Amino acid sequence: MQPAITAALLAGLPAHAAAQSYWAYVAAESEDEVALLRYDAGGDLTVEKTITTGWLVAEIEAPHGLAMDPVGEYWYLTLGHGFPNGRLVKYETGSDTVVGVADLGLFPATIAVPPHGTVALTVNANFHGDHVPSTVTIVDLETMFPVAEVVTCTMPHGSRFNADGTRHYSACMMDNQLVEIDGATLEVARRLDLVANEPARAPIEGHMAMAPPDGHCSPTWTTPHPDGRRVFVPCNRGDVILEVDLERWRVTRRIEAPGAPYNLDLTPDGTRLLATLKGSAQVGIWDVETGRLLHLVDSLLRVTHGVVATPDGRYAIVTVEGVGGDPGIVEVIEIESGTRVASANVGKQAGGIALWKMEG
Amino acid sequence: MRTTRIIVSAALVVAMAAAATTETAAQEADEAQVVRVEVNPSQLTLQVGEKGRITATAYDADGSVVDVPFLFFSRDGRGRLAVDRNTGEMEAFKGGEYTVRARALVPSRVGGTATVTVPYPPLDRVEISAAGGRFYSGVMVRHTAYAVDQAEDVRDLAVTWVTSDESVATVDRFGVFHAHAPGEVTLSATVEGVVGRIAYQVIDNPVTAIAVAAGQARGRTGDVVHFTATPSAADGSPVDDIPVTFGLIADPDAIATGDFPPAEVDSRGRFVAYKPGVYTVTASVPGHTAHATVEILPRHVVEEVSLVGHAPVRNVPTSDLWVWEGVDGRDYAITGTHRAHGSTYWWDVTDPANPVLTDSLVVDARTTNDVKVSEDGGVCVISREGASNRRNGIVILDCTDPRNIEIISAYDDELTGGVHNLFIHDGHVYAVNNGVRFDVINIEDPANPHRVGRFELDTPGHAIHDIWIVDGIAYTSNWGDGVAVIDVGGGGRGGSPENPVLITRFRDIGGATHAAFPYKSPTGRFYIFMGDEIGAPPFDGQEIGRTPEFMAGYIHIVDFTDPENPEEVARYEIPEAGSHNMWIEDDRLYAAFYQGGLRVVDISGELKGNLYHQGREIAVYKAYDPDGVVANAPFTWGPQMHKGNLFFSEYFSGMWAVKLEPRRALIP
Repeated sequence: MQPAITAALLAGLPAHAAAQSYWAYVAAESEDEVALLRYDAGGDLTVEKTITTGWLVAEIEAPHGLAMDPVGEYWYLTLGHGFPNGRLVKYETGSDTVVGVADLGLFPATIAVPPHGTVALTVNANFHGDHVPSTVTIVDLETMFPVAEVVTCTMPHGSRFNADGTRHYSACMMDNQLVEIDGATLEVARRLDLVANEPARAPIEGHMAMAPPDGHCSPTWTTPHPDGRRVFVPCNRGDVILEVDLERWRVTRRIEAPGAPYNLDLTPDGTRLLATLKGSAQVGIWDVETGRLLHLVDSLLRVTHGVVATPDGRYAIVTVEGVGGDPGIVEVIEIESGTRVASANVGKQAGGIALWKMEG
Repeated sequence: MRTTRIIVSAALVVAMAAAATTETAAQEADEAQVVRVEVNPSQLTLQVGEKGRITATAYDADGSVVDVPFLFFSRDGRGRLAVDRNTGEMEAFKGGEYTVRARALVPSRVGGTATVTVPYPPLDRVEISAAGGRFYSGVMVRHTAYAVDQAEDVRDLAVTWVTSDESVATVDRFGVFHAHAPGEVTLSATVEGVVGRIAYQVIDNPVTAIAVAAGQARGRTGDVVHFTATPSAADGSPVDDIPVTFGLIADPDAIATGDFPPAEVDSRGRFVAYKPGVYTVTASVPGHTAHATVEILPRHVVEEVSLVGHAPVRNVPTSDLWVWEGVDGRDYAITGTHRAHGSTYWWDVTDPANPVLTDSLVVDARTTNDVKVSEDGGVCVISREGASNRRNGIVILDCTDPRNIEIISAYDDELTGGVHNLFIHDGHVYAVNNGVRFDVINIEDPANPHRVGRFELDTPGHAIHDIWIVDGIAYTSNWGDGVAVIDVGGGGRGGSPENPVLITRFRDIGGATHAAFPYKSPTGRFYIFMGDEIGAPPFDGQEIGRTPEFMAGYIHIVDFTDPENPEEVARYEIPEAGSHNMWIEDDRLYAAFYQGGLRVVDISGELKGNLYHQGREIAVYKAYDPDGVVANAPFTWGPQMHKGNLFFSEYFSGMWAVKLEPRRALIP
C-alpha cells in the first residue's frame, strides 16, 4: 500500500482522494531559490527539493515567473535582475539543472508557454524603470533564442495563452490595457482600454505613462476562460475583477473583489475563479456563472501572490510572500470547502508558481 | 506527452470536464500529428542588399499537408540577415552562411531549416595599421591589414604582404616590415586582389650609439623601474623617433620549472620584477644595443595580523558596514543585512575589542545592502531591497545617538527597483536605482528629502552597480561599461548634484566592474581600482545554508593620471577567490575577497603587473566562526580602516576588527 493512501485511510478520507499527488514549483524572489513541493491529497505539503537560482551569490537576481513545458520535460524561470536585463532560464525537470538561458528585457516577470510548447512569451515588466512602453519577448524554447521583442505597453504583466494557444493576453499595469497577441503571427492583434471600455491605441514608444490614479484599474493579470469566449483581468487598484467578452471586445462584467486582486486562475472546468487578494492577505473563490463570492480564505501571512488550480479542480495552491524576514509560504486550499488543508514554508517572498504534474 | 498524459488520465477520473478544457489544444495539436517540415527552398543564395523568402510546409504521417503557423528566425544571422518571423522574408546585410529555422508552432516541436548563403561582396579596401612616412634603415615593425568589404564587414582573410623594392625593405607573412637600405618603398597588403598600400621613405639609421639608464640601481619586487634609452647620432644629438626594443636577461634568485616569468619589461622601458634577483635590461636599435642592470631585493612587507574584536551576527548574512566617529566623539559602526528580515545594526566600537550592540532597526525589506553615514556623523541612510510593497528606496535616520536610532523619513519615489548601493556627499544621497542609473536626493533637510538630479549612461544595455564620491567626483561601477567618472560638483566640468556631467569612462579587460575606488598616490599618479564580481551557478547538490560559496574576478588597476588616456597597468588577482568591496588608505589596499578573506596589499609607488606575485601582500586574514550562518566559511564582504583598526564585514558571521602589527626591525 502506498504511504499516501495509508495516510488518507487513517485520516478517514476517501482513498481515491489520497491517491492524488500534486507537484509544483515555487519561486522565492528574495532568496534566489525555487522550491519543488509535493502535496499528497489529504496529507502534507512537503518541500521535496530546493534549487538555488542565479549566477551571483552576492546579488539578488530575483526569480519571479515560472512556467511548465506542456509535456513536463522542462520548467522555465525568469530572473528579474541582471546586468541590467533579466533572463529566461530553462531547467530540466527531475534533475532540475539548467539546460538553456535566453536574455530578456528589464525585469521580466510572467511567462506564458502555449500548449504546443515551442515558444515562451515573457513580459518585460520593467517594474522599477521609467514608465515607458515595454515589450514581450518571444523566445524559441529549443534554441533559447530571443526571436523578437513585441512592444506592448507600460509595465506588462500577467502573460497567459488561451487554452488552444491561438491568443495570448497580457495586462498593462500603467496603461490600463488588455493586449491580445495573435498566437500564430505573434503580433499585437488588439488592445482594450479597461477603464474607458473601448479599443485602445498603442502607447507612444518612449513617452512616459502616467501612473493610474487610485480607483482605477492597474491590471495585474490575465486568465482566459477555457470556453475561449472571455478573459478575466483583476484591477489591482480597483478591487474588481473584469470579465472581458472576446467577441465584443468589451468589459461585460465586473466582479467585486475587495483586497487588491493580483493573480488569478480558473479551475479547468471554468466554474471557479480564484484570486489572490494581495492587500487583504486572502484568497477569494468565486462562482464564475453567478459572480458570487463563495469563499474568502485568510492566508497565514501577508501579501498573497500566485495561485494555480490543480488539474482536477480540487485545490488552489497559493504562494504568500510574507514581509521582511517572514518565510514565504505555500498554502493548499480545498476549493469546494474554502479551507486551507496544508501549508509549507519556503524561501522569502514566494511568488511565481507553476504546477508540474498530478500523479495518482 | 508523458506528464501531460498523467494529468489527463487523472483528470478523466476526477473531473472529465477539467481535462477537456485544459487539454483541448494539446489534443488538437496531437490530431494534427505534424511529423515533418519542409522548407522551400532549403538552400538559398542572396546577394547583400537582396531580399528573398523561404516558406515552410508541415506534413503529417500520411504525407498530407497540415496547416500550422511557423516562426522563422536565424540565430547566426543576427544583425547580418534580417528575417521576418511570420513570413520568412529575408534581407541580407552582410555576407556569410546562415541557418534559418522554421519552427512549427505545434506540440511535436518539429521544424525545418534552410541554409542561406550570402556571398561576401567584393572587398572595398584594405587598410594598413600605419600611415607610412619616414623609416630608419634596419628597423623592424609589425603591421596589420584590415580587409573591409563593400558591406563594411571587416573580413578575416589571408593577407599577402610585399614590398616594392626588396633591396630597400622586406616584409614577412606576418606583416613585419624590415628596412634594409635608404630609398622609397611601398608596403602592400593584398587580399583577394585588393591592395592596400603605404609608402615609406627609408633613410639611413643615424644612430651611432645608444645608452640606457635605469631609474634606480636597486629596487624591490613590485617596484616599477624605468629604463630610459637614448639613441644618439654621430654628433651626439638624440634620435627620438627611432623605435627602441627592450629585452630582459633575468637571473632570479630562485625559480622553479613552469613558474611565472620572474620579471617583465614593456615597450616603454617599464620594468617590474616578481622575484628577487639581478636583471639586465637591454635597449636595442638596429646595430646597437645597450644594457643596464638592476638588483631586485625581496619586498619584505608582511605584517602580523591580530584579532581585535568580533561583533557577531550569526542568524542572517551581513552586508556592508560603515565606521565613523559619532557626534559624541565615540566610535560607532553600522552593519546591514542580506537576504534577511530588513535589519540593520549599530555598534559602539570605541573599544573595538569589545563591540557593543547599541541599537537595531527592522524596516520593511529583505536586504539592507548599503549603509552610509553623513560627513557630520548625524544622519545614517540605509538602502532597501525586497520591501513587501515593492517600493524599496532609502530610509533616512537620525543617528546622532546610536543608542536611540530614529527614522526621520523614507524616500522611494522612482526608487522602487531597489537601491543596492548609495553614497552620501555634501548633503545629498546618490542612490543606485534599479541597476540602470543613480538618483541624487537632497537630504539637507533630512525630513524632506527630494530628488534634484539623476544620471544614466547612454550606452546600449547600460547598467550600474555602485557609486563612490570623492571631492565632488563620482566614480560609478557599471559592469560591462566599466567605470564612469562623473562631475557632481568638483570635476571642473560644470557638474553639480542637479546636473551630473560625464568626464570619462573606461572599460577594463573583462567588463565585470562591480566596485571602484579612486586613489591619488603620493607618486602623483591617480589610480582607479576596479573590482570584478564574477560568479557561477551553484554546484548541483549543494546544501543551501551549509555550503560555503565561491566567487571569482580580480581588481583591475587603471592609471587615470591622464583622464583622456587611462591605461590598465596592473591587477591584483589571487587564484583562489574573487574580489568584492575595498578601501584604500595610506598606500594600502584593503580588499575583501569573499572566500579568499581579507587582503592587505602594499600599493606604494608606481604599479605594474600582478601585485599578487610581487610580494606586495602585507597580510591575509580569514575569519572563521564556528557558529556563523555557514560555519567556518570566510566570505569577506567589505573592509574599512578606522583609527588604526581594520574593520570588515563577513557575510556569514558579522563584523570583525583586526589590527596590523608594525614590522619589527631586524636585529643583526
